[in-house]
Amino acid sequence: MTTARSILPTAQLRYAAPIERELGCLAEAFAALPLSAYPPRWLAIQLLEGDELLLAETETLAGPQVGEVLQASLERLRPHYGDDLDVALVDQRYRFVHQLTSKALTRPAIPMRTTSDRIDQVVTHRWLGIPIFLTLMWLVFKLTTDVAGPFVDWISAVLNGPISSWTSALLGAVGLGGSWVESLLLHGVIAGVGGVLVFVPVLLSLYFALAVLEDSGYMARAAFVMDRLMHALGLHGKSFLPMIVGFGCSVPAIYATRTLDSRRDRILTGLLVPFMSCSARLPVYMLITAIFFPAQAGLVIFALYLTGIVVAVGIGVLLRKTVFRNQPPAPFVLELPPYRLPTARGVWRQMWERTASFMRKAWTIILITSVAVWLLLALPVGGNQRFAATPVEQSAFAAVAGAAAPLFAPLGFGSWETSGALITGLVAKEVVVGTLVQGAHVEAAVGTTAVPSTSVAADLLGIVGGFGNAIVDSLRALPALIGINLRANEPEAPVAGLAAALQLIFKQSSGGHAVLAALAFLVFVLLYTPCMVAVAAARHEFGQRWMWVSVIGQFVVAWLAGLLVFQGGLLLGLG
Amino acid sequence: MLYQVLQALETATGPVSLAELCRQLGIEQGVLEGMIAFWVRKGRLNDSSMCASAKPGCACSSHPDGCIFDRAGPRIITVLPDSHMA
Repeated sequence: MTTARSILPTAQLRYAAPIERELGCLAEAFAALPLSAYPPRWLAIQLLEGDELLLAETETLAGPQVGEVLQASLERLRPHYGDDLDVALVDQRYRFVHQLTSKALTRPAIPMRTTSDRIDQVVTHRWLGIPIFLTLMWLVFKLTTDVAGPFVDWISAVLNGPISSWTSALLGAVGLGGSWVESLLLHGVIAGVGGVLVFVPVLLSLYFALAVLEDSGYMARAAFVMDRLMHALGLHGKSFLPMIVGFGCSVPAIYATRTLDSRRDRILTGLLVPFMSCSARLPVYMLITAIFFPAQAGLVIFALYLTGIVVAVGIGVLLRKTVFRNQPPAPFVLELPPYRLPTARGVWRQMWERTASFMRKAWTIILITSVAVWLLLALPVGGNQRFAATPVEQSAFAAVAGAAAPLFAPLGFGSWETSGALITGLVAKEVVVGTLVQGAHVEAAVGTTAVPSTSVAADLLGIVGGFGNAIVDSLRALPALIGINLRANEPEAPVAGLAAALQLIFKQSSGGHAVLAALAFLVFVLLYTPCMVAVAAARHEFGQRWMWVSVIGQFVVAWLAGLLVFQGGLLLGLG
Repeated sequence: MLYQVLQALETATGPVSLAELCRQLGIEQGVLEGMIAFWVRKGRLNDSSMCASAKPGCACSSHPDGCIFDRAGPRIITVLPDSHMA
C-alpha cells in the first residue's frame, strides 16, 4: 500500500506529444458541446480509438460537429501513426500499466516452476516426448481391446442369443416365422446394426481415454511434441493439430484445417487428415484382429494407428517437396494449459456425447445401409430362387460386389463379401463390419444354427450372469496394461460361426494366406476414403478438383499399401 | 509492447507456449491474453480453438453445441499475413 500511495498520485497516463496535443484540442471542443455525460478526455480517447457506436451516440446528442473536429484531429495525426493510431494508444496504456506493476511488484529472479512446468520438462522433452506419446497411444489401444473386449463378447452373445431368439419367437407367434420379415429383422437389422453396436464398449473406452488425455491437458502437449517432429521433416507443424482431431473423426478434422493460414497448407493438410485412423474404423480393426490376431490385437491396432501417422507424414513430405514446395512454415503460439485432474463428470459427458453420436449414426445411416445390403442380399439374380430365400452367393449384392472383387484379388481379399463391405464402407466405416457380418453370418450361422430354446427367465439370468462375467474379465485384463497377464493360462475360445466364416472367406480369396490377407484388408480400411461425409467436407472446403484428388489418391495409396503388405508378406514367406 | 508480441511470434522458429512467451516478454499471462485479443480484433492474429464448424448434414457433428470431436485440438494463435488486416 505504501508503494502504491507513493506512486499513484504521480502516476498519470500520458500519451506521446502529438496525441496529447490532439487530446487537448478535442477535450476542449467537447467540453463546449452538450456532452456533459462524458468526461471530455475519456471521450476524446475513445473516439480517436475508433469507437463508432460512441461517435454515432455523441453526434445524435451534439450534432455533426463532433465528427468534424474528430476528423480534423485524425488528419493531423495520420502522418505520425498512419492507420495504427489505436495501436499507439493501447500500447501506451500497456506500457503505463507495465511500468506501474514493475515498480509495485517484486518478481523472483528465477521464475517459480509449477507442477505443470516440472511435468512438461519430461513430457515435452526433445527426446522423451515422442516415446511418451507413443506409449500413451499404446496404452489407449490396450485399453480399448483388452479391457473392453469382454463387454463386446457379452453384447454379441446377447444379440445373437436371446435377442435373436425372442425376435424369432415373437414373429412366429404372429405368423411371420420364416417370412421375409424375419429375414429382414434377423439378417438385416440385428446382423447389420447389431454387428456394429456390439462395439459400443470399445468406443466408450476409446472416448474415455481421449477425454482423460484432453481434460488432463496432455493433448496440447502431444500436438506440441509432434509439431517438432513435423517441423524437422519440413512440414507445417500446425498440420498435426487437425490430425489429432482426426483420431476422433475425419469430418471436423477437415474443417479444422481452416486454422491454417494459406490455402495451400489447408489443402495439403486436408489431403493428409483422412489417413489418420478415425474412431469409426476401430470396430473393423476389433473384428478382424479378434479373429486373425487374437493374442496381439492391441499391438496390431496400435501399429495401424502408427501406420496412419507415418503414411500421412510420408505423403506430406512428398507433397511438400513436389506440389506444395516453397512454402515457409509460419510459427505460432500453442496454449499449454496447466495439468488438471480430469473430473468424472467431464469425462462421462464427453464419453456420452460421442457415443450418443455414434448411436445416432447406427440408427440412421447404418440402419439404412444395412437394410439396403439385406435387400440386395435377398434379391436373387437369375435361377429359380425366391426373394429372401436365395443363397447369398446368387444374390444381387454378390453380383454387384463380385464385379469389383478382381480389383482386390492382388491384395488377397478379392471376394465379393470383402469387396461389398469396402464399397458400403464408403457410406460410413462402421458399415464395413455390418456388411461383413451380413454377408458372412447369414450363411454361417443365422437361419441354419438352431438357437436352443430356453425360457425368458433363463435368458435374462444368462444376460445378467454374462454381464457379471464381463466385468470380472475386464478387471482381470487391467493388469495386462502394465504387462501382468492374469489370463495367460486360459484356453482360447473356440472359433465361433462368424469368425470361422470370415477365416474361410479370407483363406479362399488369398490362396491359403488368410492372416496376410486380413492384415492387407486392415491396412486398406485404414487408408482408403473415410466416408461420404468426409468427402463432402473436402469438397466444401477445397473444391471439387481437390476432392477427387483426395478420393483417388487415398484409394491408390490404400491399394498400393495393401499390395505391399500381401505380396511383400508372401515374398518374405510370412502368413 | 504490443508490437513486441507480434515480433516475438514472427521471429519464432517453432511453436511457443503462452507461458514461454510470457517469460520471454516479462509479462503476466493475463496481460498477454489482452494483447492477443487486441491483435485478433485488428486482424493481425488468428486465435482458434479448432472450431470445426459443425454442419447440419454431418452425422459426426450433429450435437447441438457443435462438433463433439473438436475439443481434442488445443488452442492455437497464429500471425496472419498483412492482407488479413481489419
